[in-house]
Amino acid sequence: VAAEAMSGTAAVVHDLALEAYGFGEGHPFNPLRIRLTLELCETLGLLAGYPFVASEPATDEGLTTVHSLTYVRMVQKAGRGEANLWDLMPYGLGTGDNPIFPDMHDACARVVGAVLQACRLIMRGEATHAMCISGGLHHALRTKANGFCVYNDAGVAIARLKEEHPGIRIAYVDTDAHHGDGVQWMFYDDPEVLTVSMHESGRYLFPGTGGIDERGRNGAIGYSINVPLEPFTDDESWISCFEAVVPEVLRAFEPDLILSQNGCDGHALDPLTHLSATTRLYEYIPRRVHELAHELCEGRWVATGGGGYDIWRVVPRAWSALWAAVSHQEPLEKVPEDWLAVRGTESPVKLPLLMRDDPADYPLPEHASEIADRNRRTTEELLGKVLPLIHGSVAP
Amino acid sequence: MLLVKDSMTREVIALSPGTTAAQALALCREERIRHLPILEDGRLVGIASDRDLRSAAPALGDPGRAEALQNLQISDIMTRDVVTARPDDPIEEAANRMREKRIGCLPVVEDGDLVGILTSSDVMEALVQLTGAHEPGSRLVASMPDRPGTLAGAAGIFGVLGINIVSVVAGPRQEPPPGEQGPWRAAIFRIDTIDPTEAIEFLERAGYSVLWPPKP
Repeated sequence: VAAEAMSGTAAVVHDLALEAYGFGEGHPFNPLRIRLTLELCETLGLLAGYPFVASEPATDEGLTTVHSLTYVRMVQKAGRGEANLWDLMPYGLGTGDNPIFPDMHDACARVVGAVLQACRLIMRGEATHAMCISGGLHHALRTKANGFCVYNDAGVAIARLKEEHPGIRIAYVDTDAHHGDGVQWMFYDDPEVLTVSMHESGRYLFPGTGGIDERGRNGAIGYSINVPLEPFTDDESWISCFEAVVPEVLRAFEPDLILSQNGCDGHALDPLTHLSATTRLYEYIPRRVHELAHELCEGRWVATGGGGYDIWRVVPRAWSALWAAVSHQEPLEKVPEDWLAVRGTESPVKLPLLMRDDPADYPLPEHASEIADRNRRTTEELLGKVLPLIHGSVAP
Repeated sequence: MLLVKDSMTREVIALSPGTTAAQALALCREERIRHLPILEDGRLVGIASDRDLRSAAPALGDPGRAEALQNLQISDIMTRDVVTARPDDPIEEAANRMREKRIGCLPVVEDGDLVGILTSSDVMEALVQLTGAHEPGSRLVASMPDRPGTLAGAAGIFGVLGINIVSVVAGPRQEPPPGEQGPWRAAIFRIDTIDPTEAIEFLERAGYSVLWPPKP
């Protein structure tokens, strides 16, 4: 695809209210990462000319496309402090991972509404690409909060788009370090939704699922794709696996829109996972997804955030690169001094001075070639199993 | 919970002794099953697997194979001395029987009636349920001295941290880690958290040895 063809307008959906989604001091999921990222983008000049697009919270009707009404009512009660902890826990609420917080229903519904807004902007043709970094809560299940995720923004957005545009084919591409289980299960028997998740193998990491044999069900076998990666997988092997799988399965599927989940918790510094990626990966993936969106679906692409628990050194730089790709801007080289002057003093760790990690700081993991071999065998076995099963849209 | 009746398949496809091997094999293909109990007057009189049927006739490619399969009756091939299970047998006991006898299924009999069949796939399903492998969770293996209170102590740490235990399975006795004495035992936990780091830290500080997830 020629460079000039890969244009189109970009939009960022955000407002301050979205930053209410968080679980309080001391919890790894900290909305400060959103603030840090947007401030960094702004200081880099990447947001000039891109006013934030506002959005409305998702309605109960929207949420119940993929969640049960009982669960939504529970979240509402929890946020009002009206429910007993023992009644909430079966719904995954009030646990160490998903503590209750005031007005949590509203905060969570806003995230869903924002991602839905991003999708609608694209479908109305008001933008070609859109980003909402508060989104990406891919673990939320139909009746349960799971892994820091209360409502499943991608799940609701996909279900709503399917209602509003019957026959639409959506490819969901999830490169968070954790398996995108919630979204996968919501569309496990839907051949109009292709879910692709690349993640650290469930043998080592939550949620434990996402093996290559989870391939979909009933008429949708082949439409759930999982690439479980070995612990300590580095950029090189990650990128090879991405290239081996994602372009081919997307081309076979022929999506009308790509929704990507851009968790950056596969970075070597992330405290919750055991992968060894650097900013190189988080610059590479969105650029490739962008190219594929232009190749396959006239650029229609919505990018969300996701996991990312080194909120100082990793998330702001990784998601600035994401926004640069979404908005056709070149990522800058240096972390701006103005940003460092303010945030560097608050950070508990020394902040990097460059936007890109220096490979010298990230020596190859031990057994890197064995790890790459195992990953390669995984992708070969996977492709052999799924590729023959994926079919594109029926020709008009 | 975890009895044979909780895991067995209740809709059993059974045959009469006069069924031909060809008919029985066709049924295996259509229904995608491998084990066929044989009933006579409602009583279980034998069992045959698709492999028994295939190996009773001349090999594939032999011109006489098709005819042989037509002429063979299942009663000529079936195993008459059937190993069975009862609905209230614990699943682990049934699994052990299958393992010791090297068989792939147990017909389940209650008061002389065939009420179900337990296959190795059903046992696999029970294992998945038992370990919670189909539910979101993090796998954590902690080794501890094999004495009263140690498992409770580990479980208590998860409790204090607000982490629910999806499943716990105690492994066999093992050698203690270097510098420790007496038998140790590992417990395999599946815990409902995306972030086991704090739990691992607490466990190690309390003297448990965390064997999984592996460290760099």
